[in-house]
Amino acid sequence: MLRMASTFQEDVLEHVFSFIQCHKDRNSISMVCKSWYEIERWCRKRIFVGNCYAVSPQIVIRRFPEVRSVELKGKPHFADFSLVPDGWGGYVHPWIVAMASAYPLLEEIKLKRMVVTDESLELISKSFKNFKVLVLMTCEGFSTDGLAAIAANCRNLRVLDLRESDVEDLSGHWLSHFPDKYTSLVSLNIACLVSEVSISALERLVDRCPNLRTLWLNRPVPLDRHPNLLRRAPQLVEFGAGCYTADLRSDVFSNLTTAFTSCTELKSLSGFWDVVPAYLPSVYPTCSRLTSLNLSYATIQSDDLTKLISQCHNLQKLWVLDYIEDSGLEALADTCKDLRELRVFPSEPYGPEPNVSLTEQGLVSVSEGCPKLQSVLYFCRQMTNAALVTIARNRPNMTRFRLCIMEPRTPDYLTNQPLDVGFGAIVEHCKDLQRFSLSGLLTDRCFEYIGNYGKKLEMLSVAFAGDTDLALHHVLSGCDSLRKLEIRDCPFGDKALLANAAKLETMRSLWMSSCLVSFGACKLLAQKFPKLNVEVIDERGHPNIRPESCPVEKLYIYRSVAGCRLDMPGFVWTMDGDASPRLT
Amino acid sequence: MTESAMAVVKPEMKSYIWLQTADGSIQQVEEEVAMFCPMICREILQTGMGSSKNYAISLPQRVNPAILGLILDYCRFHQVPGRSNKERKTFDEKFIRMDTKKLCELTSAADSLQLKPLVDLTSRALARIIEGKTPEEIRETFHLPDDLTEEEKLEPLRNITDDPRIRLLNRLYARKRKELREREKLKNVEIEERVDDRSVDDLLSFINGGDGDSKAVKANKNKKKNRRRKDQQKDSSSTNENGNHDKIEELDALPSCCQNNEFDKISGASPSRTVKSQDSAVSIYSSKNEFDDADMYDDLDPAMKEELDREVEDFARRLNSDWPERVQEILSLGQERKLVTVLNGNGSSTRFTKQVLIGGSSLPIRVRR
Repeated sequence: MLRMASTFQEDVLEHVFSFIQCHKDRNSISMVCKSWYEIERWCRKRIFVGNCYAVSPQIVIRRFPEVRSVELKGKPHFADFSLVPDGWGGYVHPWIVAMASAYPLLEEIKLKRMVVTDESLELISKSFKNFKVLVLMTCEGFSTDGLAAIAANCRNLRVLDLRESDVEDLSGHWLSHFPDKYTSLVSLNIACLVSEVSISALERLVDRCPNLRTLWLNRPVPLDRHPNLLRRAPQLVEFGAGCYTADLRSDVFSNLTTAFTSCTELKSLSGFWDVVPAYLPSVYPTCSRLTSLNLSYATIQSDDLTKLISQCHNLQKLWVLDYIEDSGLEALADTCKDLRELRVFPSEPYGPEPNVSLTEQGLVSVSEGCPKLQSVLYFCRQMTNAALVTIARNRPNMTRFRLCIMEPRTPDYLTNQPLDVGFGAIVEHCKDLQRFSLSGLLTDRCFEYIGNYGKKLEMLSVAFAGDTDLALHHVLSGCDSLRKLEIRDCPFGDKALLANAAKLETMRSLWMSSCLVSFGACKLLAQKFPKLNVEVIDERGHPNIRPESCPVEKLYIYRSVAGCRLDMPGFVWTMDGDASPRLT
Repeated sequence: MTESAMAVVKPEMKSYIWLQTADGSIQQVEEEVAMFCPMICREILQTGMGSSKNYAISLPQRVNPAILGLILDYCRFHQVPGRSNKERKTFDEKFIRMDTKKLCELTSAADSLQLKPLVDLTSRALARIIEGKTPEEIRETFHLPDDLTEEEKLEPLRNITDDPRIRLLNRLYARKRKELREREKLKNVEIEERVDDRSVDDLLSFINGGDGDSKAVKANKNKKKNRRRKDQQKDSSSTNENGNHDKIEELDALPSCCQNNEFDKISGASPSRTVKSQDSAVSIYSSKNEFDDADMYDDLDPAMKEELDREVEDFARRLNSDWPERVQEILSLGQERKLVTVLNGNGSSTRFTKQVLIGGSSLPIRVRR
């Protein structure tokens, strides 16, 4: 039979590839054969690097010469819970330096959990003439000076999104650095900034950018300035309000209502710090069109939330504080039949007693009432196996399920049993489950279920769970699609890890902190698997000062083709193939 | 032919274009259909070809008669002006239902005729076939060779010499290989003559300034070490600790050994594997040569694997044999750690304190959303 490859010209194949943009598929294409590898690498425009230390910028640049968009992730996910000490790493600067000379036509940089400096931002602003998109998600290390450089120099900037980054806020003047001739802004998210920006500069900016679709204000923007901004941008699709507090004035209220009414394209609302309930009805005109509502900063009580949500028939995504309570979630279940994603955050996570009436029942209601529910993040204080089993049976289409029962090792409060059966039911019924977070009292049994049923599971987060290494063994040997595993405070040691060490090369990363993995095992792992970087993170000092059988504080293992990284701080050691820990 | 005969044969006076495919066969096609192809259109307008059988337009090689037929069907449908978008879409969806091989040929042919709408249609269809498949499945579908090497599939590590980290890694590999090679040579000697251990220990204790003669012996990571560990356990309950401490002292003694040139000679001649880390320390400090990676890597791969496999087995066996005691040991170590932190109560451990005592903040509460 005629080999089809030979009938296929390169440019034809390239054209076919142009319709395939998903990273996974592009990776598959590149692994088919030599000729496809070559063709694919020349026409790859978008790169996603899930772990910035898995590969070096030089390797990426050498392989993909025509990249226009780069997405990098730095610190492990548990950094969000302050488990990764400051200074661990995730520096983007070497990447920016390398790309500045290699990719002059670069248009997009998207970073998550990386350390970005003002120097990096300045370099970006000066090196890429056609730079369009800058997304800094949960990043840190830069100040508003860096933002000023971006504003001043990036003539074609379309997106500036600082989602949840930690910015050193020197002043709000940076916004005024956008030149008068600059008109290409499409998306601006400054919600994380603490200090005031010049509202008049913002108004002028919004005025002259007719393509603005997304505007997330920061907290200091006063309520009475909102109508002006909205009026200047009636084409907005996503809006993040600032502080929704002011003395009750009917003119402000009516201005707001009118402004929201004119935003006929508005589909997403967020922000709303410090809400005065009386002002909430001003957003009612938008409710019927809303698909996304992020009220995770809004201190709105259950009744007001219920009134709001009851009008949002098209809602697909809701992020809310637990003020919503079971009653609000029932209303959600009744109204929002198109709901795909629900996140309920704790209003007082460290309080010893529950401050709201949010129980397992709320989640059960939503699972019953919302047939399209796929993604759940739920913080609560009590749970039962029965509830979890019900949820699992109701919603076998779930793909992301993260349950955080706030007190560790909490059993089923009705039966006092571990929650093995409940979580097991989730993983058994939800055949396409990709992301799973566990909590409560769990024995090895739960992990047996996960290993057995979690065939599509890609990311698993475990805390204060399990009894023995068998639990870890179940997961590592059973979860065929596992890419990221993060574990804290579990009695998992060397056995399971060493027995399943080869699995680690098929995963992006493994994080284990406050577990029982010994220093000796870490060294052995590194010896046997040179393609893995085995990082020991220990703020108690050099691992050598303790017995080899002593557990390490934190362990981060990831596969890499870039070898050991050279930017580690004093409390991180990469285990060397030569059996001695490498110091920086 | 008489006019009337012609009238019977051709009721409408249609124009036809003559096209010739690479295999020599010639066919005629309605002009408006043929003109739908930009390449044919250009040929007609620029060269005047195609008006008769003798002056048929030669089509690119990629267009064979069967494929030409398909293309002309496409053109025949779409060149009709009145059709709605929905009609066209429905036609297209039915049209591309064919086996992958034919789809590839069609894409290629359409591309050579510059018929962009058809190229897009077929390319998208091929893209949909490719999406979601593994490399193996794609290879099967398109009958492609599996000609990437294992290394290339990972990343062409060896081809890159400009990255300093890669070079460093390769150097470390090379050292490791050399070290293992030397041990291979000496392995036989070790199995036969146990007595040599003693002499090495003596030498080592000489080097270490005579600080106890059993350090090297205890620190040995092979079977001997296992047995010795078990023996020690019978003696006292805290022998594991002692064993480890001894090893640590030895490691501390490394710098001085390594500065001593005698040690190089000794470790070279050593029949047994003394402290592994010492050996490697020797390798690091003594060898400055760059090794030729290629040959040695291929030679040693199975050996290295076997070596390391054995070590893992040993380690696992060791863990298995005294696992219950080790768990106790480790847990007690862990407990101590917690208690100490709690009792100290200094600033750096307040978070930990909270975790242990209150337990409320120990859950993954996301600081940010």
